[in-house]
Formats: sequence, structure tokens, C-alpha cells
Amino acid sequence: MTIDGWFIAGAIIGLASTITCAVAAVMKKKPNDITLVALAAVELFILAYAAASVVRLANGGHIAGQPWEFWGYIATAAALPVGGFYWAMMERTFWSNYVMGAVGVTVVVMMARMAQIWYGISTPA
Amino acid sequence: MKNTPSTPADDVVPSRTTGAGRLLITVYGVFAISASARAGYQIATQFSDAPVAYLLSAFAAIVYIAATISLAKPGHKWAVAATAAICIELLGVLVVGVLSLLDAKAFPHATVWSMFGQGYGYVPLVLPLIGLWWLYRHRAAASR
Repeated sequence: MTIDGWFIAGAIIGLASTITCAVAAVMKKKPNDITLVALAAVELFILAYAAASVVRLANGGHIAGQPWEFWGYIATAAALPVGGFYWAMMERTFWSNYVMGAVGVTVVVMMARMAQIWYGISTPA
Repeated sequence: MKNTPSTPADDVVPSRTTGAGRLLITVYGVFAISASARAGYQIATQFSDAPVAYLLSAFAAIVYIAATISLAKPGHKWAVAATAAICIELLGVLVVGVLSLLDAKAFPHATVWSMFGQGYGYVPLVLPLIGLWWLYRHRAAASR
């Protein structure tokens, strides 16, 4: 797969979000402003990535794979932080931070797949 | 005041769906979504390539959905359902894992369980073990 700036930025934000939430969880802290911001950062990044993808396509960009598969990943990735937030907030314990931490790393995996769809892959998975 | 020795301990036994259970349900939920999306995509676009592998993908997706829902629901019956779903999941990842090792040609198209879930960081292999351990830990709480 081709590694572009979007994937690198997504990997940094997603992993930083996961690490932040995991550290808070290990310290037995309940979700606080810091971990909520970490989760919100993932959501904002996906929204920015979606907007930028629209702009790139409008400027003559091209998705190598199936466009609806790409947008399916975008929609799912955008829904994950929201779902994780509600699921975590239904019961506020330090475990909620682990739940929120699971979102970041999942989005990183999805970013890798989205990069494959956008640029195409030389060897089929 | 009547004092039954078991009562205080009963009250502190956490339910299956709280604490670490929520994280377990989260991970199952992520697998349910990704397995369903993958199976749906495979069947919609390239079903004729490998119908068996893609039907297996769909079966895996259904098992993950069943496990997620039954883990999230309180009560003894749902615990039994979750145990059944996770046993099927464990059996699936072991059988498909062994088959994909022995006869790679029969499984040229990856499913979530191929090579014991290698493509998913072996999480599909570890997840049912953790799930069964979690259910075993909470068997007393579940039976009430």
C-alpha cells in the first residue's frame, strides 16, 4: 500500500488517542476532558479526511478501488468514536477509557485499508 | 437483623456486562461490524470467485453478531447463548485455521478465520478464549 500524509497523520492521531485512553485507564481514571478530547480528535480527523477526499476527487483525484467501499469505511470510521463515546458513557468507570482507546487503533487499521482502496494494491489480499 | 453470609459477596459480584465486559463487548462489536462488512462486500462483488469461503465469511459474521448481542444482554439465558456462540466461534477459527494450513488451495480467499486469524493479528483466535474465560468467571452471577 502507498503510505501518504493522511495515513501518517491518522496513525499518529489514532495511536496517540489509544495510548492516552489506555494510560488513563491504567491509572484507574474515569473518562475526563483529556480522554474525551483524544476521542474527539479521532472523529475530527475522520471528518477532515472525508472532506479532503471530496476535495481531492473534485480536483481530478481518483479512487483505484471501489468508491462505495471507500466511503463505507469513512462512514464506519466516523461512526466509531460516536458509538464508542455512548457505549463508554453508559457506565463511567476506568474501563470506559479502554473502550474509548479501542476506537483509535481500530481507525488506524481502517485508515490502512482506506489507503489500499484509494491507491490500489499490487498484490491482492 | 438477619445476616446471610452469602449476601454481601453476591452484591459485589459484577455483572457480565459491566467493567471489563464492556471492553470485551466493544471488541466483539468491532469484529461483528468488520466481519459483516467484509462478507457483504465479498458476496456482493465477487461471490462466484469462492462461494464456500465467502459463505464462511458470512457465517463468521453471524457468529460475531450473535456473540456481541448475547454478551451484552443480562441474564442466564443470554449467558448460555453467548457461551454457545463463542464455542462455535472457537471451533470455527480452529477448524478453518487447520484447514487453511493443510490445504491452502481450498482457501485461496481469506476469511476472518483463515490461518487462525493471522490477517487480524490473531485476535480471532484469542478473543473466544477470553470470552469463555469471562463467561466462566461470571457463571454464578449469570445464573441468578
